[in-house]
Amino acid sequence: MTLIGIAQIVIFFGIVLAITKPVGTFLYRVFEGERTFLHPIFRPLERLIYALGGIREDVEQSWIGYSASMISLSIFSFLAVYLLQRLQGHLPLNPMQFSTSKAPSFATPMTPDLAFNTAVSFMTNTNWQSYSPDAALSYLTQMAALAVQNFVSAAVGIAVAVALIRGFARHTAKTIGNFWVDVTRCTLYLLLPICILATLFFVAQGSIQNFKGPVTAQTLEGAAQTIEQGPLASQLAIKMLGTNGGGFFNANSAHPYENPTPLSNLLQMLLIFSLGAGLTYTFGKMVRDTRQGWAIFGAMAVMFLIGVFVCYWAEQRGNPMLAGAGLERTYTGSQPGGNMEGKEVRFGNAMTALFATVTTDASCGAVIGMHDSFTPIGGLVPLFNIQTDEVIFGGVGAGLYSILIYAVIAVFIGGLMVGRTPEYVGKKIEQKEVKMAIIAVLATSLVILGFTALSSIAPFAKNGYWNPPGPAAANTNNNGAHGFSEVLYAYSSGAGNNGSAFAGINANTPWYNLTIGLDMLVGRFLFIIPALAIAGSLAAKKLVPTTSGTLPTNGSLFVVLLVGTVIIVGALTYFPALSLGPIVEHFQMLNGKLF
Amino acid sequence: MLKELGPGLRLTILFTILTGLLYPAVMTGLSEAIFPRQSKGSLVTVNGKVVGSSLIGQPFAKPEYFHPRPSAAGNGYDATQSGASNLGPTSAKLLHGTTKMDDKKNEVVDFDGIDDRIVHYCVDNDIPYESSVPLDQFKDPRGDLDDVKLIKAFNDDKAPLVFTPKSPIPQDAVTASASGLDPHISPANAETQAARVAKARGVSTDQVKQLVPQFTERADWGFLGEPRVNVLLLNVVLDQRFPVSK
Repeated sequence: MTLIGIAQIVIFFGIVLAITKPVGTFLYRVFEGERTFLHPIFRPLERLIYALGGIREDVEQSWIGYSASMISLSIFSFLAVYLLQRLQGHLPLNPMQFSTSKAPSFATPMTPDLAFNTAVSFMTNTNWQSYSPDAALSYLTQMAALAVQNFVSAAVGIAVAVALIRGFARHTAKTIGNFWVDVTRCTLYLLLPICILATLFFVAQGSIQNFKGPVTAQTLEGAAQTIEQGPLASQLAIKMLGTNGGGFFNANSAHPYENPTPLSNLLQMLLIFSLGAGLTYTFGKMVRDTRQGWAIFGAMAVMFLIGVFVCYWAEQRGNPMLAGAGLERTYTGSQPGGNMEGKEVRFGNAMTALFATVTTDASCGAVIGMHDSFTPIGGLVPLFNIQTDEVIFGGVGAGLYSILIYAVIAVFIGGLMVGRTPEYVGKKIEQKEVKMAIIAVLATSLVILGFTALSSIAPFAKNGYWNPPGPAAANTNNNGAHGFSEVLYAYSSGAGNNGSAFAGINANTPWYNLTIGLDMLVGRFLFIIPALAIAGSLAAKKLVPTTSGTLPTNGSLFVVLLVGTVIIVGALTYFPALSLGPIVEHFQMLNGKLF
Repeated sequence: MLKELGPGLRLTILFTILTGLLYPAVMTGLSEAIFPRQSKGSLVTVNGKVVGSSLIGQPFAKPEYFHPRPSAAGNGYDATQSGASNLGPTSAKLLHGTTKMDDKKNEVVDFDGIDDRIVHYCVDNDIPYESSVPLDQFKDPRGDLDDVKLIKAFNDDKAPLVFTPKSPIPQDAVTASASGLDPHISPANAETQAARVAKARGVSTDQVKQLVPQFTERADWGFLGEPRVNVLLLNVVLDQRFPVSK
């Protein structure tokens, strides 16, 4: 590790810390319906949306009504994305002529199973991509199907988090807010304005934003190079801010148009963390004790810093076999050293490790380096981040509601230790809340481990419909333990609604498209619905006064308890699977074993 | 539940119009007005012809040009198929390469691998090396290195070819980038290649080396990212300053 590498990480974290309070305060104002400086512009538009949508702004919903609205929006989102993909060959803004008879030879057809997988993926804020966008999607599909979901699915996540906070903040209440209003306000006052500024910044740095078809250049050596174009920057902004992560191009944020400079990369990382970090402050403010929010922030910060330094250390140490073959291993100031397979020169090892940690701490899933080519320990960090439900600042909204679910489990464990009914921010945590929290945590691990096991052994006939390459394990790009890691990462990424990949795996077969699709649905809805059930149950409860017997949840003791709970639950669930993948591969690499 | 369907449908349509059509259209208009060069792809023109984009790497193989990193995008620097090798640290393919049979049953290179790239980098740039078998044994009748023979020798189970440069090679020179379109190489890599480029152009190494810093970017704001040399921009200026006689 180098001083300049460490400085990048520390300064990035410093900026996140500095913006948490202002962002959180603004979020609070938006969701409490207070007037903001954006009201003169967007309030008329907000009213128009309610009028056209048939929504009554002043009517609040119970947790069941809130869930039903959320499901309704998700169903229509799914249908819109599915149909736009299937019909793109007949629609405008398709300069590469995908899904038509004139499509280029390398194009991927949007088959029903692939379109299903993609529609689920974007509706659930996952942005897992079984297809390569350069070779599959028209501009219209990217912007009017996928980018729309980047806004909507992010707004849904934030709305759910705010509803859960209301559950803690309110007492003897029957309602937790109005879903439609929360989603609309989030989109108008938060996502859209930030994206407009971020888009212009990205274009200034070199990102493209146009509706032209591909440009053909004649290279200096006389070859023809076709360079794809498109409305990229506008989609890039919401892809990062909404922690969606689905690339406009296959190489995602490693593509020079999708991340031209280290400076644009800094903004991308800040966009990923900004709302997740801000929501911790919003939480504290809404439960009328900002120290509660800072305790959550503290737990996240501890886990973030551990992860990023482990990942950076592993990547900068690199692969001893490459050093043995004659490659420079140490950083010298004029060359990066470390492990540069699958990394870009402008980002190097430190920034790539930082981004990989950030994108999996949050459920973003954009990448600037290929996790598949990371060292085993460097790749373990993103994988474990995803498996612990991305609670470190987290996906927009998803991070906060996930860590609050872990907080419920943590105070339950704490309550068992001291022999008292657990309480959290003035609410008794009882049977129903703990049950719902456990459902959420167990459901994701069940699909991750279950589908990984099935795919490791599932026998399919070669050239059959379900998985043409043959047995499902044949789809991996690497042999040995690393191949298993590719499968494990795929299902972890799906259920965690992350979307990044050990991208060597060929997941575009009906088997993988359907199972990863189910995986994403479980990871999204069996987390959100229990979270809303907890919100409804808590909102109805009375506030209990703090006594000397109350376990304080706004100090360092609670931070330790919460971090311990996350790591222990994650480790107990996934250690056996991880030891078959990255852990054993680490020792194989040190012993010079190749597959 | 049924009464929730109406707002769901209507909001999906409204959000599609607002965030899926209006937002990208307005952003495109603004971007093209304020940043016309960047929004259209930062294209580089020489004598009125587009020769590439300063952000998108392109293939260079001739000795008189600086060479970019290996690329896994399509057949190399295919800007319609961005991507990486996605090979992991214990991949034999990544390190030693693989061969395959083509349609005419000839054995050809499937994936060159890092070992083979190291051999080429050393030979191209006159880097001293040690080899367990003299490289002459891997040359074809024309005197060029035969990659199929080299890859098979590196993969030999019993007595694999051991080839070691006497000084370590910059990582970026023989590893593929994440995008397959990396426009940059490290300054150390450029420094190593300068002598070859100078020789092929019939000028002194110092004359070429003096050009490199103009196309070297330092870390942004002094701490973000890594120093890097833009290969295309450097090669364009080389052609202008030290043209190769044809």
